[in-house]
Amino acid sequence: MTKHDFRIVGKSVKRQDVIEKVTGEGKYTGDYHLPGMLYGKIKRSDIAHARIKSIDVSRALAYPGVKAVLTHHDVPKVLHYGSPHPRSASCTKDQYILEDKVRFWGEGVAAVAAISEEIADEALELIEVEYEPLPAVFDVDSAQSPDAPQIHDVGPGGNLVIPPVQIERGDVEKGFAEADLILEGWFEGGRPTPTYMEPNICVADWDGSGKLTFWTSTQTSFMVRGALAEVLGLPLNKVRVLVDHMGGGFGAKQDLFQHEFLCALLAKQCRRPVRMEFTRKETFLAGRTRHPFKMWLKQGFRKDGTLTARDMKIVYESGAYGSHSPGVTNVGTASATSLYRCPNVRLDGRAVYTNTPIAGAFRGYGVVQTYYAIDIQIDEAAEKLGIDPAEMRLRNAVREGDIAPSGHPIIGHGLETCISHGIKAFDWAGKRNADRTDPRNPAIRKGWGIGCEMHGSSAYPGIKEQGNATVKMNEDGSVTLLTGAAGLGTGAHTALAQIVAEELGVPFESVSVVHGDTDVVPWDIGAFASHTTYLVGSAAKMAAAELRQRVLARAAEKLQEKPEHLQMVDGIITVEGKPGQSLTVHEAMGPSRGIPAEHLIASGSYMPTKSYSFAAHFVEVAVDTETGIIECRKVVPVHDVGKVIHPIAAQGQIEGGIQQGIGHTLTEDYVIDRTNGRSLNAGLVDYKMPLSMDMPDIETIILEAAPDPGGPWGAKGVGEDPIIAIGPAIANAVHDAIGVRFHHYPITPEDVLEGLRRKARQDAGAA
Amino acid sequence: MKKIHLEFSVNGEQRSVLVEGYRSLLDTLREEVGLTGTKKGCDVGDCGACTVMVNGQPVNACLMLAAEAQGAEVLTVEGMQPNPDELHPLQEAFMEHGASQCGFCTPGILIMAKHLLDQNPLPTDEEIRFGLSGNICRCTGYTKIFDAIRTAGKRMAAAKAASVEA
Ligand code: FES
Ligand code: FES
Repeated sequence: MTKHDFRIVGKSVKRQDVIEKVTGEGKYTGDYHLPGMLYGKIKRSDIAHARIKSIDVSRALAYPGVKAVLTHHDVPKVLHYGSPHPRSASCTKDQYILEDKVRFWGEGVAAVAAISEEIADEALELIEVEYEPLPAVFDVDSAQSPDAPQIHDVGPGGNLVIPPVQIERGDVEKGFAEADLILEGWFEGGRPTPTYMEPNICVADWDGSGKLTFWTSTQTSFMVRGALAEVLGLPLNKVRVLVDHMGGGFGAKQDLFQHEFLCALLAKQCRRPVRMEFTRKETFLAGRTRHPFKMWLKQGFRKDGTLTARDMKIVYESGAYGSHSPGVTNVGTASATSLYRCPNVRLDGRAVYTNTPIAGAFRGYGVVQTYYAIDIQIDEAAEKLGIDPAEMRLRNAVREGDIAPSGHPIIGHGLETCISHGIKAFDWAGKRNADRTDPRNPAIRKGWGIGCEMHGSSAYPGIKEQGNATVKMNEDGSVTLLTGAAGLGTGAHTALAQIVAEELGVPFESVSVVHGDTDVVPWDIGAFASHTTYLVGSAAKMAAAELRQRVLARAAEKLQEKPEHLQMVDGIITVEGKPGQSLTVHEAMGPSRGIPAEHLIASGSYMPTKSYSFAAHFVEVAVDTETGIIECRKVVPVHDVGKVIHPIAAQGQIEGGIQQGIGHTLTEDYVIDRTNGRSLNAGLVDYKMPLSMDMPDIETIILEAAPDPGGPWGAKGVGEDPIIAIGPAIANAVHDAIGVRFHHYPITPEDVLEGLRRKARQDAGAA
Repeated sequence: MKKIHLEFSVNGEQRSVLVEGYRSLLDTLREEVGLTGTKKGCDVGDCGACTVMVNGQPVNACLMLAAEAQGAEVLTVEGMQPNPDELHPLQEAFMEHGASQCGFCTPGILIMAKHLLDQNPLPTDEEIRFGLSGNICRCTGYTKIFDAIRTAGKRMAAAKAASVEA
């Protein structure tokens, strides 16, 4: 990395979009009210697997105020990808907008547009559907049994979504033969949901020329454009997708949802704008969740803790449709090649359809599951071998040149630094030797744990990604950055503006960002995979560098100097060695001395390789042995992000990820009744997330340990990382507190009490 | 359905609207009054995104019928600024501390925090956490929100002390 005296990057400048957020002026999709707008609603199935024998909409259509009703008879018969990544290595085309079949409880079977939401709701009640029930499966074991009902006709057979992902390196049998200790066990995880605060929503409006304008809360506006155009049979320039502010997504707002197609179709039929907004309950029913999983994991260790072999079989539950299952299975399975280096691995990853809600993309994309298991088993091995758990991780941490999950050699290995730094900052040794009882409450046992992770700053090579940015120099010296990357709330647009300002040599305040209009901004693959700053940031840096050259060339002409003797800092262009001579960018841009005005615009396109961010989380928990309640009291997350662009935004990402990770590990599970597929807690009261009272003390540490040459000044992703290591850290801390190992999440109070009882029986048996 | 004629004050301005009896205050503010700053995260009183102040008390606007606000004084996020060129200390602190990410929870949390600080500008950490226990934020991990509220409280207390001295 060349030495650079940073003026803007690395500073917590005021976020560009934030004034609108604190004043209430920022517009989210639901804030758009168009004249004559209608309201759309979806009729949902109350059966998990069935063929629709008949569907009668006559009463609904006749209801006053109802303008249109759509069923599977009225929509294009086009199979589409739920997650339409055109450049993805594997995708499943397994969804129709509406079909004569339902595959999960809550799937849409018809849609209504009416003059008010209330009327649309009432009309739904008037639609009569006759179902022919089909046998259904609600977990991966029954879905994989030879006589299981087949949920889809497409796919490789059985209820597999894709052919199994199998990875083999080295010689696993030889590795186990060399081991002094072999551990094996089952691991399992529930169904956490992203639960972003803004429910899914869209507004569709057609103009007289047959062009569709479509506002939606999506992370992938160009995918929405592509899928809508394909299904509706339109060229891309006849679909304009707009995303203004969005109330979170966490990965799950990457898919194309039924309501988005239906909203566009209803608006077309009614020739009026239509808005379709999920209720919170629908956001659970028809949104996306993390993949529940089941895993068998076996690892071999030498006495000194070195890993000799790893054998893993993981099954991800896809739910009713494929959505991101191919990607999650690929990424999650491959992730088991790494984190803790192991020369001999044999991995088998599968995704299986069931008649349950659709699992999709969610922060930590398959890796949350894999590393939860691996990191808990590493902790068990450390305990059995009498090695300090942090030391155990240091010995096995991936290093420079090791093969990463992507198949590339790792460039920059921040994990050891994160662990060593955290050991000191957390006072690991002191804490691990401390008393585990709480003098104020004899029922409380304290414990300390560590968890680690690594995560890619892009979806490459699974998706052939490309980051694009365009930068325009305005005639007054102000700058406009155009990007297709959505602003989920991470502060990505601010980071991009910082990168442009830094590279160009203008003040941060002079850069504004235009985003979220597919008619205007450069093509974008979507805001996901922790890649916006890394990927689009690199493109923005390239565009800014080119623009800078062109501005300097123009200034050089005006100053009658050589461009290479000029520099631009804070919007002032000076000549090396001639302090008296200078121009503002504004002066450089205007016509003068016979030099006409000029339109200066530059674009950058960046294709990533692969970079990884690293983290180690140190956690203190307090377990109440009477109630079984686990309280997460303190977290010290130590993250290597290569180069931090906006420290406060990066910290905020980390703290938010920890909040979700604590939820996953202790309380969050979207529960499906395994007898009929009904969801049991589709609401914010029954789906338990950590709130203000539940948050631990968090002391976030950001390191620039291992810059990646592919990112702007070495920057790597941070968005997904914090949700991964916190889970095993908590589970390991719980074990430290009460001596009980848990191999699943969420770890509920009932589990703790049962675990304590089991341990008491075992201890009694042993004594 | 017969509509109700409703008169109330929103952010100090007298408003008069016609709404159906079943309309919530939230939908009325957003769709009839045209103030979309207040957000709908659940519509059933679980998330706090729709928190507004009615006669000085925080309420979930999705749980209150508009008709119940007849004659009331309503304050929404749009009314927090003391004047158009100045932000409320909480708004300033939220920007500085990165307390708003996606921003969807922010209007409700700002109103709740204002209520908290109006009662007591120097709340303890426990009081801040308790005060926000009905507001869900899924992005920030709350840490930065706590920081912002503490900072704003200190500034408000200092400003108050200065004005008393002057
Ligand atoms: S929208 Fe009113 S509490 Fe959620
Ligand atoms: S900032 Fe997104 S929910 Fe709070």
